[in-house]
Amino acid sequence: MCRKLRMMNVSGELCWLACLILTVDLTLGLGPYKDMEFTFLLSAGSTECFYQTTARNDSIEVEYQVIAGSGLDVGFVLVSPSGYRLASDFRKSDAIHMVDPTEDGDYRLCFDNSFSKLSEKLVFFEVIINRLSSSVHGGQNEWADVAKPESMVEEDIRVRLNSVHQHLEKSRQVLTVLRTREARDRYLLEDNLWRVSFWSCLNVCVMLTVAVTQIYTLRRLFDVTRRVCT
Amino acid sequence: MGLRGVGFLLQCYLMLAAAMYFDLGEQEEKCIIEEIPEDMLVTGYFLLEPWDLEAFSHSPHFGVTVTVRDPNTEVQMSKRYGKFGKFTFTAHASGQHYLCFQTNSTRFAVFAAERLKLHLDVQMGEHSIDPKPDKTKNNMEVLENSLKHLKDQMMYITSQQEYQREKEEVFRQISEDTNSKVLWWAVVQTSVLLSVGFWQMKRLKEFFIAKKLV
Repeated sequence: MCRKLRMMNVSGELCWLACLILTVDLTLGLGPYKDMEFTFLLSAGSTECFYQTTARNDSIEVEYQVIAGSGLDVGFVLVSPSGYRLASDFRKSDAIHMVDPTEDGDYRLCFDNSFSKLSEKLVFFEVIINRLSSSVHGGQNEWADVAKPESMVEEDIRVRLNSVHQHLEKSRQVLTVLRTREARDRYLLEDNLWRVSFWSCLNVCVMLTVAVTQIYTLRRLFDVTRRVCT
Repeated sequence: MGLRGVGFLLQCYLMLAAAMYFDLGEQEEKCIIEEIPEDMLVTGYFLLEPWDLEAFSHSPHFGVTVTVRDPNTEVQMSKRYGKFGKFTFTAHASGQHYLCFQTNSTRFAVFAAERLKLHLDVQMGEHSIDPKPDKTKNNMEVLENSLKHLKDQMMYITSQQEYQREKEEVFRQISEDTNSKVLWWAVVQTSVLLSVGFWQMKRLKEFFIAKKLV
């Protein structure tokens, strides 16, 4: 990276500092959208918490959906870094919460399945962070700090590429939501199929048992009567 | 290693510090489920830190064991890493993959109930955003890299849509199975009811005639 400057002892440290600044800039300015999505299994009677670090004046959007588990509901709590409860859902199947603007610190998302003693829930959640703080400085300058653009055409290309990237990110997020809905419907249908088979089988067995018992009881009734009579 | 290595490590560290984290006890295993289509390269970065950075009681030799299970719940990959690392794997079958993380330490965890936090970032696709910015690269190469990243995003969306199509077919198949099962069981139950009714009447008639009550 800094092969030429390594020869000069004084500028070595400056170069390292520049690299660090570049690193920080690239990390935080890696595009104004960053999303994280996880699916996890929440066992019966337990609570799981996830934490997300944000900077000031960002916006954070949390969306969750219960994919499987009887009742298809879960409790949710969103706590800000200063300890305020921003959102609290009791036994909901899916919801979206948005916080704008955010504080500096760690937001806590907790999923609560303590009301259910037997069934575990499969929960999908997605956290989308819009880093508005970095776009204040003109968020398109992801690589512009390194070298000045050589021409306006390149700058134009870069801007358009950025916009395409953002649109693709949005469509990816929509696809993810659709995928989880479909997964939830599929699990429900598989459950239905199993339930239909089980209860139908049980029904036939009960019918046969009742029929045999009826005949047997009637015959016993007449046998006892005859014994009593004679 | 030099400056380049330090820069890469610092970059990954900062990237992960802004990522999501969750708490993990010692010797506890937590799993994340990801739906991954076939032939998709998945890269995961993780960082393990103690919960209270001030109350750092011992100099730990912590590590993370990453276990990846494929949709048939067979272990596809199981490796031990240090506190911080990157793992990659390619999904052979499309479906739900289980990424499990378990801490391991060289210390006996007798009186340790120390909480740790695990930062995690999972990315799909080959050309993720380049974490190694190279100053010697000119603008054209940077643009080329970003174009590759865009192309990769589009391939990812296309493969996700293919995967969706497969899952829709499975869904339709299950739906038709349920429909035919409901019909079949209804027919069976009606025929069982009718035949049992006839059998009961016949037996009772024979019985009463034999007992000379009719």
